Amino acid sequence: MGIETVAFILMGLLAVALAGTLATRRFPVSAAMLLITLMVLLAGMYGLLDAHFAAVAQIIVYAGAIMVVFVFVMMLLNLPPEETRFGTLTLGEGVLTLAGLGAAVVLGTKVGHGFLRSAFQPTNARAPFFPEPENLKNVAALMFTDYLWAFELISFLILAAIIGAVVISKKRKTHAEHA
Amino acid sequence: MLSMPELGLYFSFLLFLVGLFTVMFRKNILFMMLGVEILLNAANLAFVSASKITGTIDGQVVMFFVMAVAACEAAIGLAMIISLYRAKASVEADDLKLLRG
Repeated sequence: MGIETVAFILMGLLAVALAGTLATRRFPVSAAMLLITLMVLLAGMYGLLDAHFAAVAQIIVYAGAIMVVFVFVMMLLNLPPEETRFGTLTLGEGVLTLAGLGAAVVLGTKVGHGFLRSAFQPTNARAPFFPEPENLKNVAALMFTDYLWAFELISFLILAAIIGAVVISKKRKTHAEHA
Repeated sequence: MLSMPELGLYFSFLLFLVGLFTVMFRKNILFMMLGVEILLNAANLAFVSASKITGTIDGQVVMFFVMAVAACEAAIGLAMIISLYRAKASVEADDLKLLRG
């Protein structure tokens, strides 16, 4: 077992532990800080998986941009501290949840693994194996050829999200009167 | 012994479980949104691991798209939280049951 695998396992275990800690925090801001740490850890895992572009984008976009919006909103709301409250499940809901998780485990380990091994093997001529050292060049080559339409649609989605966020969070007189 | 990307798939599953727990059981909407971020990150880890397992780069491209969707989700969701806080002065899911039948 190489040093890379050991580092990967440590990072993964730490990430899961951080996520578990996050779920039980009282203050949203401390949970957001834990989530930023988790994302930096995930970026390290992406780097170990030779996905260098994913690692850099994870830090810049996720830890740098999305989480800043989260922390900004938390400071804007300035909520008082409160005790951690959890919801409850009825027996039927619990049974259904366990059944769903069991199905997820079976799908993820048996079917999913076989699917990954078979579906993307050499028959898939559209996305051939790319040599790893030029990760960014390969990602860009695929993103702007086969995934060009998805890329353009995503840019429209982001535009719609910007306009939507402004419209939703705008102060409205009628809104305040109804409330 | 599992290889590194296969371990990544298992870590992704564990992270997804924790995120699902957060979304399902926390009553604070801010924590529910943080849970959704964990879910999306778990999916991204699965995409990158699958990309390594199959030797194709598609997973990393899709991972970038998921990241863009996550940014949209955070912007819209947080705007809705601000709007709700103005109307109800609360970010608890229990206080927002107007549509409960």
